[in-house]
Amino acid sequence: MTSTKKSLSSKVTFASLTPNNLGTVRKLNTVLFPIKYSEQFYSEILLPEVEDFCKLIYYNDIPVGTICCRLESKDNANNLYLLTMGILAPYRSLGIGSYSIDVILQAAATHSKPNIDCIYLHVQVSNDGAKHFYERHGFKEKGIEEAYYKKIKPSGAWILERQIEGSNDG
Amino acid sequence: MTPTPAKRALPSKESTLFRELLNLYETRQLKKGQKTADQILKKFPEHGETLCMKGLILTHMGKREEGLELVKKGVRLDLTSHIVWHVFGLIQKGEKNYEEALKSYTQALRFDKDNLNILRDAAHLQTQLRLHDGLVDTRFLLLKLRPNLRQNWIGLALAYHLNGNLTEANKVLEQYERSLKNVPDYDPEQSDLLLYHVRVLEERGDLPEALTLLDTNAKSRAIVDRVAVMETRARILSKQEPGTDAEQAWRALIERNPDNTSYYYGFFSSKNTDLGALTDADRPNTLHLLRELSLQNPRTLTPKRLELTVAPVGDFKPLVNMYLLQGLNKGIPSLFVDLKPLYHDNQKLAVVEELVEGYRQVLEEGRLPDEFPDAVAAISDSDVPTMYLWTLYFLAQHFSHTNRHSRALSLLSTAISHTPTLPELHTLRGRVLKRLGDPYGASAAVNEARLLDGQDRFLNTKSAKYKLRAGLVEEASDIFGLFTKKDAVSPGADLEEMQSLLYLTEEGDAHRRQGKLHHALKKYHAVRKVFEEFEDDQFDFHGYSLRKFTINIYLNLLSWEDQLWSHPAYIHSAVSASQIYVRLFDSPSLANDVLSTGLSAEEEKKAKKKARKAQQKQEELKKGKPFTVNRRSPLKHAVAAAAAAASNEDKGLELTPTKDEDPDGIKLLTSPEPLERAWKLLSPLLRLPINNIDLWISIYDVAVRRGKYLQAVRALSHAKALDADHPELHVRYLHFQKLYGSLPLPPPAPVGTVISNAMATLATDEMSSEAYNVQYLQRHSGNAGAVLGAAKALQILGGPRDEVEGILFGVLNPGVDLPLKTALDVWSFLKDTSSPRVNEFRLACDEKFNLSTVFKTPDELAVMYSQGPDTPINTRAEIDD
Repeated sequence: MTSTKKSLSSKVTFASLTPNNLGTVRKLNTVLFPIKYSEQFYSEILLPEVEDFCKLIYYNDIPVGTICCRLESKDNANNLYLLTMGILAPYRSLGIGSYSIDVILQAAATHSKPNIDCIYLHVQVSNDGAKHFYERHGFKEKGIEEAYYKKIKPSGAWILERQIEGSNDG
Repeated sequence: MTPTPAKRALPSKESTLFRELLNLYETRQLKKGQKTADQILKKFPEHGETLCMKGLILTHMGKREEGLELVKKGVRLDLTSHIVWHVFGLIQKGEKNYEEALKSYTQALRFDKDNLNILRDAAHLQTQLRLHDGLVDTRFLLLKLRPNLRQNWIGLALAYHLNGNLTEANKVLEQYERSLKNVPDYDPEQSDLLLYHVRVLEERGDLPEALTLLDTNAKSRAIVDRVAVMETRARILSKQEPGTDAEQAWRALIERNPDNTSYYYGFFSSKNTDLGALTDADRPNTLHLLRELSLQNPRTLTPKRLELTVAPVGDFKPLVNMYLLQGLNKGIPSLFVDLKPLYHDNQKLAVVEELVEGYRQVLEEGRLPDEFPDAVAAISDSDVPTMYLWTLYFLAQHFSHTNRHSRALSLLSTAISHTPTLPELHTLRGRVLKRLGDPYGASAAVNEARLLDGQDRFLNTKSAKYKLRAGLVEEASDIFGLFTKKDAVSPGADLEEMQSLLYLTEEGDAHRRQGKLHHALKKYHAVRKVFEEFEDDQFDFHGYSLRKFTINIYLNLLSWEDQLWSHPAYIHSAVSASQIYVRLFDSPSLANDVLSTGLSAEEEKKAKKKARKAQQKQEELKKGKPFTVNRRSPLKHAVAAAAAAASNEDKGLELTPTKDEDPDGIKLLTSPEPLERAWKLLSPLLRLPINNIDLWISIYDVAVRRGKYLQAVRALSHAKALDADHPELHVRYLHFQKLYGSLPLPPPAPVGTVISNAMATLATDEMSSEAYNVQYLQRHSGNAGAVLGAAKALQILGGPRDEVEGILFGVLNPGVDLPLKTALDVWSFLKDTSSPRVNEFRLACDEKFNLSTVFKTPDELAVMYSQGPDTPINTRAEIDD
């Protein structure tokens, strides 16, 4: 197990998003997700404050996935909302997704100004695999939001949430 | 000393002023200089030397015409003064008119034969013009006058060397080295000089002497360039006597840099084996030695790659298996390009195909190829997806290269749905579509690659080039513009300033395909300008390299310059422009047709808008900082360095770029002498050994129309030596025979005889042209190009149209191999001759080349690309909500 992890870290690399590589993100989104994302989505993920949480994921130097978050501040709490996370089908079950979410969680835990309190996301209620994936990484189900998706069925979504350790000491 | 002529003598006051004037000029106090000159001229308005100096100053101040006028007047008034001739020479040199400048300098030297400045300048001009006899005399005189200057010794040695007199060059160098005292240790200048001396000895064939000189000075560390010492030593040893010493020398080099292929060639030459021309008897031993070298240098691929070339087919499979697996696992994008040369051997091609197809099948099932050699053991199962991807990429290239484009496309489609984010897949798809004759689909595919990585200049340039190939000139310009200087007048202007040959030739070709011949000519002439600059650029190095003692590299530069015009981009431009000029000559109304149909109302509006924008930009530039070039092409950079370092006082005399009087090339198109323009483009190529048959055909076409029959027939001989059966040559041969036979009077004796003799060697038999043509067609009936040639020839011979067309349609016969390009050539021939069967041919081709779009009508294309030229039906439009 440790050896796999070690070799993964040498194969998986990340790149920050820039206007220049946004085309790759667009391409990935069109094949990974059943949703068309708006231009606002693409301008948000380029904001400097989310640089640590919006990444292109490379495997053996080929872009194979993406992970994007938004920073939300309300009532004195700073939360990360996981907008998208996906790996191209042929590259799944290699541990790339786990490795990537760990990197993001790590970045969230060490982030300051602001400190991050928690990270949450929506998962379509038909997507058990995804739910299990996040639960393995410490996310808990907080409830169901009916009619979350407007254009796809089923329209309900689980809300999954995970507290970020090391963020409450400040 | 001859007495000063009365009209030159000045009273003491003016004489002092004149000396002051010279001083002021030297120190570039131009305004004061002008005033001083005026002071003298007030009293002595006919004083030639003062007039010249004033003219020189005015030229420096940008008043070239007025200045030149004064200089010419000054020269006329005092024909025996060295000053007036020197000034005149300076001005001509500034205009890059080297021949005339040298004449003026020679005049100046008649009246002041020991003037160092004039002699030095004359030497530079003689080098530029490659007048080596004169150069030796000038350098000799310079050394005699100033033997204590080191560069004068080197200058003379170089002059002898360039003039082919290595013995004298060697003597000069020996004498110089004997006279040296107190050379500092590790002096790089002395080091390069000694290496140069070794080179002279080596070229002269004095190998033992060369080796002794090299070894002595390498040991004493007088030669500091270790790699140069090792390489020179190995090379001389190999020449001297292949054997152990030479072998050791090459081994040492391989150890130092195992990636340098030429070291391996050297190593084997020391064993009397030529890696470039192996005999079967050599193979086993060569293979054995390569393996040994590979084991000694496990990190390099070079010997392994050489093994693949050397190995007989029987040993090939396990070797290439290992090489392929390693490359595919590492994901080396250039693997196919690396291996492609092996495909000359059909059996090796088949082995590669079988192996990689095998990998694909196994990888598709999610497993690694079975027989994984030990050396590639680092591979794990987790590498399957990327290795599969690179395998698909390799195979797609393989199938496209071997003309199985549909198979390539289907592999690419699998690969793109597997991993849509690898730009290489999209560019390759573009290339395959291009080869299939779908320039629009190709352009869309490459653009898709570009969108994946906006900061990749390679993808940017490729995408713009493919747009040009698809005729989307404006869009291409926008794409280029993403990477060009923002304050340039236009992206194209910046790329021209950067001397981008790719841009100039591709855009010229795009205009030409669209019939905008004036724009095309403009670009082709811009290419010529770039090469003229390349040629002029060497001038500053004649002085600079001597002073800096960079002799060896300078000699390489000179021989590069001698071959300069044979660059493929220049040949292409010269040939393309000549073809246009020949058409313009043959049908004088063409120019007007181009101009009247070229600019539709809408286009005119667009062009006006563009011009306005450009002008605005120009004005903004003027208002802002003065025009500065902050980015330069690398060559320009080096040249600028040489120019700046040159303490050459003649800067500022050069022609400043003037406003382009003919931005759209309309003057080029309507020039009354198209053939003279064409000849000017072709003439630098006449004396170079160029293996491009299109060039010699073009030279024929222009020469024969200028009535230069000897040149024409010589061009045909050149072409024949390259490819005796070439269809275009066949056409020209019959063309010439007909034309020559119909001359009212054959050319007079010497020329006429030469031509007749040459004709006799070109013709194979004494028979009628018609019969000759029939015979040619029969000999090559399976070759579409030859069929086209025979039809063209029949047309020239006055054959009836239906017969010509009958031959032409033969290209569609099942037994004929018809490449897409030839089909296009046949089509345009039919169009040019206003054939009633044009459409019939087009439809047949559209069916035959079913994946191409080039045979579609504009209406059909419009339907196919109804969403605009950039979104063909087979790519999804990405629309965000």
